Amino acid sequence: MERMERRKFIQGFFAASAVAAIMTPSALLAKEEAKKVLRGKNALTYDEAVKAITGDKAPTDSDKVSLTVPEIAENGAVVPVKIKVESAMTEAEHVKAIHVLSTKNGNARCADVMLTPMNGKGYFATRIKLGGTQDVVALVEMSDGSFLRAAKPVKVTIGGCG
Amino acid sequence: MRKVLLSFVFLSTVAMLQLNAGEQFAMSDADRAMYKEMLENNPADIYVEEGGELFEKLGDEAALAKFLGVTEKELPKYIAGFPRYVKSLGNVVGLDQVLQAMQVEQGKEKTKLKSGKMFSMLAYVKSIANDEVLNIDVAADEHIKAAYALGEKTFMTARGGRGLSCNSCHSADIIGQVLRTQPLPDLGEAAVAGTWPAYRMTKSSLRSPQRRFQGCMKNALLKVIPIGSKEMVALEVYIAKLAADKKKKMAIPGLKR
Amino acid sequence: MAAEARKSMIKIKPKKFKVGDTVKVDFIVIHPMDTGLKKDKKTGEVKPEHYIDNITFSLDGKPFTTMKVWETVSTNPYFSVNLKVPGKGKITVDYTDNTGEKNSKSKKLKPKG
Repeated sequence: MERMERRKFIQGFFAASAVAAIMTPSALLAKEEAKKVLRGKNALTYDEAVKAITGDKAPTDSDKVSLTVPEIAENGAVVPVKIKVESAMTEAEHVKAIHVLSTKNGNARCADVMLTPMNGKGYFATRIKLGGTQDVVALVEMSDGSFLRAAKPVKVTIGGCG
Repeated sequence: MRKVLLSFVFLSTVAMLQLNAGEQFAMSDADRAMYKEMLENNPADIYVEEGGELFEKLGDEAALAKFLGVTEKELPKYIAGFPRYVKSLGNVVGLDQVLQAMQVEQGKEKTKLKSGKMFSMLAYVKSIANDEVLNIDVAADEHIKAAYALGEKTFMTARGGRGLSCNSCHSADIIGQVLRTQPLPDLGEAAVAGTWPAYRMTKSSLRSPQRRFQGCMKNALLKVIPIGSKEMVALEVYIAKLAADKKKKMAIPGLKR
Repeated sequence: MAAEARKSMIKIKPKKFKVGDTVKVDFIVIHPMDTGLKKDKKTGEVKPEHYIDNITFSLDGKPFTTMKVWETVSTNPYFSVNLKVPGKGKITVDYTDNTGEKNSKSKKLKPKG
């Protein structure tokens, strides 16, 4: 208790300067990133997941994929993710699958969505858990076998009271 | 891990954590828009539907209106004025307590006030008043007057390990300051009384306003006040007036951090 | 585990649409999506993995979207895809979780014109 009180006092003292005003909340982020990444049965790193999905093909970063995530997620339990892919969605040319991944979760995979021309548009939205600040990645498989990619960083705050 | 707050450190920290920290961790308009969109698919909608099914078993709007002595047409506006003094119960009560009383009257098993089922029923009943302006009248009678006074007293009383009161974090001059990366809200402007029960993302569950007050108290090291107690209902009266003063509307269920 | 059917909702947006329009099909379901890495606060025991792992969206029995879902998706999850409306029909969402539990939810697709 005494040690925590002293830490809080020091944090409060440092908050007096402009630099420290940024430092204090950063202490919350840094502490959370230092936490060991929990690994369960489905544990797979981001690189392992990408390889499992694309095989030897290298994905290309593409503007055709629009990935919408919050810059700052109010909490890591429910992070909204929206993915749109420019495509005619015909038998000849369509989005075959949208894979949602994160770069630092113990299991990098979130969802693998197999679409068909019946969808009409290349689109998928969901809400995912993020164990800490990291990138969310949309890996898109097109009907011609190519892979497109879009990634965005999400700052996860674990603040608030109650 | 207990969240310790030394009041003097807290006050100086809050005073110092001005725009810089606020800017770095404040959500952008685009972010806020994304969270607002989530309201369209709020998991709470399913709990509200469940609450509706439970409420149907009690006799629906017709039975509630009859119990409260109003017409079904007047019911939505009447609901938006709670907590109220209910003569047949001899107390200022919340709608959850009214539902419990109806259960007793019908010889049914009482649902605990602090339970998922009651939060769902409360959410459904409050949602009947959606879009109505909150209209609590704290001068309506002696009882509600007393409840309001008690609510204000409870809000202002410093207690607990760190000598904090609700007002320590929710007073007019503290509003907007950043505490633990979150800007402290104006409880009236945020329409707490009109947006709770709400789905809490960090708890993945539907929570009633009094349940939320309990979470807040726990964090501030204030001894938690029981749901449905005189003081807790009084607090709800005080919070409802804050929203009514700002002409806020009922919008249940809410979606919160 | 014998269960009352799991609670879920299918929403179609916009409410008014015609044949040939592309609508949004939203599916939301109450499910713990436990990762197997968290402890139950009351018992102190680790809550075992319990998450939805497969979802199929069909129109009149014809699948138009299938999903492989992982435990990293939020509790009480939400899934949204588009559907180009070919005509009147019934949308069905069939889903299973890692315990083998199977569930289903349907909603009528009613285009106007």
